Amino acid sequence: MTTLLRCGPLSAEDGEGRRLYRSVTVALEEGCLTVLEGPSGGGKSTLLRQVAGLASSENVTRELSGRRWVEKDLPGWRSGVTLLMQDAPIIPGSVLENLNFPYGLKSAGDRIFDAERADHMLHEVGLGTIAVERPASTLSGGERHRLAIVRALLWEAPVLLADEPLSGLDGPLASRCFNLLREHARRPGHAVLCVLHDPAMGRGADRRLRLETERLCAA
Amino acid sequence: MNDLIHLTPIDLLVATILVIAAGVVSLAMRLDIEKRLALSAVRTVVQLGLVGLILERVFALRRPILVLAILVVMIIFAGREASNRSTRVYRGMRWDSLLAMGATCLVVGAVVTQVVIGVQPWYDPQYVIPLLGMILGNSLNGVSLCLERLLEHLSARRHEVELRLVFGATRSEALRDPIRTAVRTGMIPVTNIMAAAGIVALPGMMTGQILAGAPPMQAVTYQIVIMFTLAAANAMGSMLIATAAARRLVAPDGRLKVDLLRADRW
Repeated sequence: MTTLLRCGPLSAEDGEGRRLYRSVTVALEEGCLTVLEGPSGGGKSTLLRQVAGLASSENVTRELSGRRWVEKDLPGWRSGVTLLMQDAPIIPGSVLENLNFPYGLKSAGDRIFDAERADHMLHEVGLGTIAVERPASTLSGGERHRLAIVRALLWEAPVLLADEPLSGLDGPLASRCFNLLREHARRPGHAVLCVLHDPAMGRGADRRLRLETERLCAA
Repeated sequence: MNDLIHLTPIDLLVATILVIAAGVVSLAMRLDIEKRLALSAVRTVVQLGLVGLILERVFALRRPILVLAILVVMIIFAGREASNRSTRVYRGMRWDSLLAMGATCLVVGAVVTQVVIGVQPWYDPQYVIPLLGMILGNSLNGVSLCLERLLEHLSARRHEVELRLVFGATRSEALRDPIRTAVRTGMIPVTNIMAAAGIVALPGMMTGQILAGAPPMQAVTYQIVIMFTLAAANAMGSMLIATAAARRLVAPDGRLKVDLLRADRW
């Protein structure tokens, strides 16, 4: 297997100065869904935010598809290593605006919003009956999570870092969304690192990592 | 101007009855603002009295260095007051608000006094001090409102900003909405005043000039100049403070440094 992403060494402490992990390097294989496990409050979200370049980290080497990225190019790195955030935040505006706003950014480059594919994906996650003109603020928590998954998958970033993307979803819907993430990860040139709280679902991943006692190791 | 009715200390005492009446209302309705009202009334008398004494002396001496010294003191106090009004603080906020107030006062003040009105000599305290005082007083409101809104956005709605960042937004792209909303908020007071001018209320400066005996059309002309000046000052002050604060709280690579932001004051 080819290593698609390598990012490290990463270290972090919690708000009280307790060490969460030390000198951890995250390496993701191409075509692979990797699940990140570990105790609650153990630093999984912080690790994902550091890999995405949202949380501070020093002297970190970032490589994606063999290309090395320096700190000042973090916006470019983020457009290729996109974080699916834990709380599924939305921007003010309609469902459609929440799906297509990334395509107005400089980082979009040649990417064009595909409305047909967006419609298909919304149906896939059970949001097909929702009018895209509807204000996104009226969506429920579970609907926001599914909208966030659709937006992230449409973006086609080589690497997707998903922080508890299935929160608030019931069994069948959670399975359907998990399968979409796995299909996405298994495509050439892609990889997904996912934090999940459901161990049973985690067993369906291609690879499992565990963050515990300040280290990252195979589960 | 010869028709000016001069006020005596007795007239001021009679006016005090009005403040006392407001205090009685507070007591009767248990609004609990009577102490604050009394303190504010005393501060008004003391501060304005001192300003009156200083201005009389400065007007009599007509020395540029004195006028400049007064302007510097006014800018420092305005910068301090603008940052004091915010419920959230970050390290360096006082410098940012001082910079915003100072640059606004000097640039807009120079244009209105030297170009629009053409004050002669350039430092004539009768024009320069009240005009720059109005600019500072009004942009102070705009700057503090703008700062409060921006800090609230970066604190309470940080996930919205980060949502743009995770798709590769640059710092300026991620901050476009927060800065736009903050500057718009900072501009609200002056746009409200402009919209209501002459219909709902007669603006203070115009009223003052008319009371002092100036022809109404002359007072109106001055007021229009002042309104436009205040609009420019509010816009410039708000844009400066929003940009300065955003640059401190968001790293060039877009990382939010909200750990620098505190909800309490030090």
